[in-house]
Amino acid sequence: MKRMRIVAAIIVAATLTLTACTGTPHSPTANEGGSTAGANTGTNSTFVYDAHSTAITSWDPSTSYSNEIIVLSNVYETLTRYNDNTQKVEPLLATSWKSSADGMQWTFTLRPDIKFHSGNPLDAAAAKAAIERTIKLDAGAAYIWGAVKSIDAPDATTLVFNLSYAAPLDLISSADYAAYIFDTKAAGSEDLTAWFEAGHDAGSGPYSVTKWQQGQEVEVTLDAFPDYWGGWDGAHYDKVVYRVVGQATTAAQLVRSKEVSFVAQLTPELWGSFKDDNSVQVTERASWQNLFAFYNTTDGPLKNPNLRKALNYGINYDGIVAALKGSATRTPGIVPKGLVGYSEGLAEYAYNPDQATQLLAKEGYGPGKKALDLTLTYTSGDDQQELAMTLVKSSLAALNVNVSLTALQWPTQWAQAQSEDASKRQDIFVMYWWPDYADPYSWFINLFHSEEKPFYNLSYYKNAGLDAQIDKVEAVLAVDKPKAEQMYIEMQKELFNDAPAVVLYTSNYQRVLQNSVAGYVDNPAYPNVAFAYDLQPAAQ
Amino acid sequence: MSRLNRVTNAGQGSEPRGGSAFGPTSAGRRAVRWMRENPLFAFGAAIVMIVVIFGVLAPFLAPFPDDASTATHPFETLVAPSAEHLFGTDQVGRDILSRVIYGIRISPVIAAAVIASSCIIGIPLGLLAGHFGGVIDEVIMRITDIFLAVPALLLALAFAVVLPPSPYSTMIAIGIAWWPWYARLVRGEAKSVTTRRYVENARILGLPRWRVMFRHVLPNSVTPVIVQASLDFGGIILTAASLSFLGLGAQDPTPDWGLMVNQGQGYFATQWWVVTFPGLAILITALAFNLLGDGIHERLDPRRVVSR
Repeated sequence: MKRMRIVAAIIVAATLTLTACTGTPHSPTANEGGSTAGANTGTNSTFVYDAHSTAITSWDPSTSYSNEIIVLSNVYETLTRYNDNTQKVEPLLATSWKSSADGMQWTFTLRPDIKFHSGNPLDAAAAKAAIERTIKLDAGAAYIWGAVKSIDAPDATTLVFNLSYAAPLDLISSADYAAYIFDTKAAGSEDLTAWFEAGHDAGSGPYSVTKWQQGQEVEVTLDAFPDYWGGWDGAHYDKVVYRVVGQATTAAQLVRSKEVSFVAQLTPELWGSFKDDNSVQVTERASWQNLFAFYNTTDGPLKNPNLRKALNYGINYDGIVAALKGSATRTPGIVPKGLVGYSEGLAEYAYNPDQATQLLAKEGYGPGKKALDLTLTYTSGDDQQELAMTLVKSSLAALNVNVSLTALQWPTQWAQAQSEDASKRQDIFVMYWWPDYADPYSWFINLFHSEEKPFYNLSYYKNAGLDAQIDKVEAVLAVDKPKAEQMYIEMQKELFNDAPAVVLYTSNYQRVLQNSVAGYVDNPAYPNVAFAYDLQPAAQ
Repeated sequence: MSRLNRVTNAGQGSEPRGGSAFGPTSAGRRAVRWMRENPLFAFGAAIVMIVVIFGVLAPFLAPFPDDASTATHPFETLVAPSAEHLFGTDQVGRDILSRVIYGIRISPVIAAAVIASSCIIGIPLGLLAGHFGGVIDEVIMRITDIFLAVPALLLALAFAVVLPPSPYSTMIAIGIAWWPWYARLVRGEAKSVTTRRYVENARILGLPRWRVMFRHVLPNSVTPVIVQASLDFGGIILTAASLSFLGLGAQDPTPDWGLMVNQGQGYFATQWWVVTFPGLAILITALAFNLLGDGIHERLDPRRVVSR
């Protein structure tokens, strides 16, 4: 018995040490057709997407507001699509569009003869019904249609939006959430919402859902839709498989054994190890996703703007970016590069412990004085965020600011921040934000516009002057882009001075692809999406 | 009174007791001989001694003591083992050697606290149950049955999920799962001791029951607990490491070994040293305590040790 104990002790300890490399080889179930990932067969080729967390949280194209866009973007289409390279909106379901001079009426001309996967025609009436359902359900990102007063479908290919205030509707219709056009009649007599959640799709995109295995590693399988309006001439993948592999080390093994075609996210170290490897491709680009620390501007010590600024000077941003080893960069201001309102000239907070000490001393805190105790909540499960939090805590500790870190599951973290009882709320709330369409509006309206009850404005920030600017800016953008740009820059200056929040870093996307995948473009307007139809299974 | 003590001692003479194993006569020589016959025990004892010394002298032995608390060095992250950093640095640039040394003050201390609290709860309850029997015995034993029905690690896990993550929660969670074993052990021993003649004699002489229980039953029932505790030490270190590995124990920047393995797992394929050294620390410490426990087990009464 005692030998057994010793052996057991060794096994348990060794298992703890080695847990990281328990990448059990899985049989390549992704390739049911017998082909290997990305094989150059022209027909019968499979694109295997490796996601690091569960792909599907909702199948409903109206209310979906999470990871599932990586799947839905290949199943559903929007009226327009944003091209990040040209910074222009391009045709998709709509071939052309025009707006009235005041930006209050938008007319879209739809591509003729498009069919949904259900076989029903995708005409103006169907598009109207889809958008109206999204507006009516008013969940997820439905707010993007906030300007729409009514929709008309005078004929099969003409769709007219009448707005209550001017808005850039071409951009809005390219949104990654809530802008999908779907067949509202696909479920027949059944309840459409329930029908969606059972894993059915009602899209018009190049692929349709054939298999959904909730909770399984091979979660979703899509098959080519033979009647897709774009046609299937030339090289295309005819199957798309979504495989969920949480462990980055396991994902890296799957790349090496060529079991996956595309990995959306690895650790910077693992990604770096593929950089010099000629047997795979890597891509890297700045995203539109930035990590915010929101300060509680209504309760607790951070009500005081001097203390908020002291924290802003006390955080070692360059250290965070260095430790994240290429998976993050800094952005001046709030709006990331590639969007209206981005400006190299904006001031940004830099690590300056002396200035931080002075500001703290003004309020009686700092080294040798009173300790400033703060609570901070962040979302658990993201290694990069966790690493940044360790560094924030560390650099503030040197200033006699004790930050107590709590990692919470997102729903808990969010609910706590929205507590009715203000004393239960945190001093600092950390989360990522990215836009719903290629426009900075999402940051300002959601994060900094005052709210009756806190929703996403988790600084609880109220600034009437800023509110007035935010309320106006989209209408200005619809008719006068340079003026809107100037307004966005002014708003960022205001937020810099008042310091209700600070951007810790902007994420970089670091992907790994097999050499057999050709034509991949990382488009930050559609985070983590690989448009499989645009990719070609090419010769190695 | 003096007569009574003699009776008691006579009773003890026929029972092996903890203290007599290392009696005063030629203790040193006997110990040396015994160790030579049990090299594994000697090895375990040596490692445990080294671990204890490192733990006590951590501030003097750790090259970068600040790295065990809030200090970070973001521009020196994931440096491979070198002369400056013998065990390399972690994802935020902290010296892993210093953190491993300070880690001795976490898991092994948790193990000691769990054993102490398990004894404080388990021994009195077991004693009551074993000595008085009847309804008291039934009630206490059924309660322990409930706890023992669930594997210790699973039970500890369940409590750790509910409690806010910290080393104290780990202690409480494991302690809750551990005490019933001690209660069981003492109860069995106390039950058999209670029926011995010297205990009956003490009662016939009119001593109060409480006095009989504490003076006569208790000292003769705790030996198996000492053996069990020495065997459990390594197991509790592993349990504590498992809890913090799962994120339910100590939180950063506490230099807890299980937590360090957890945080390093993403770097295993590219920076092996981040997980390897804290993992080895867990392995060596748990192993050393197990060897030590086995030695004590062999030396003292081995018959009534329960297995888990």
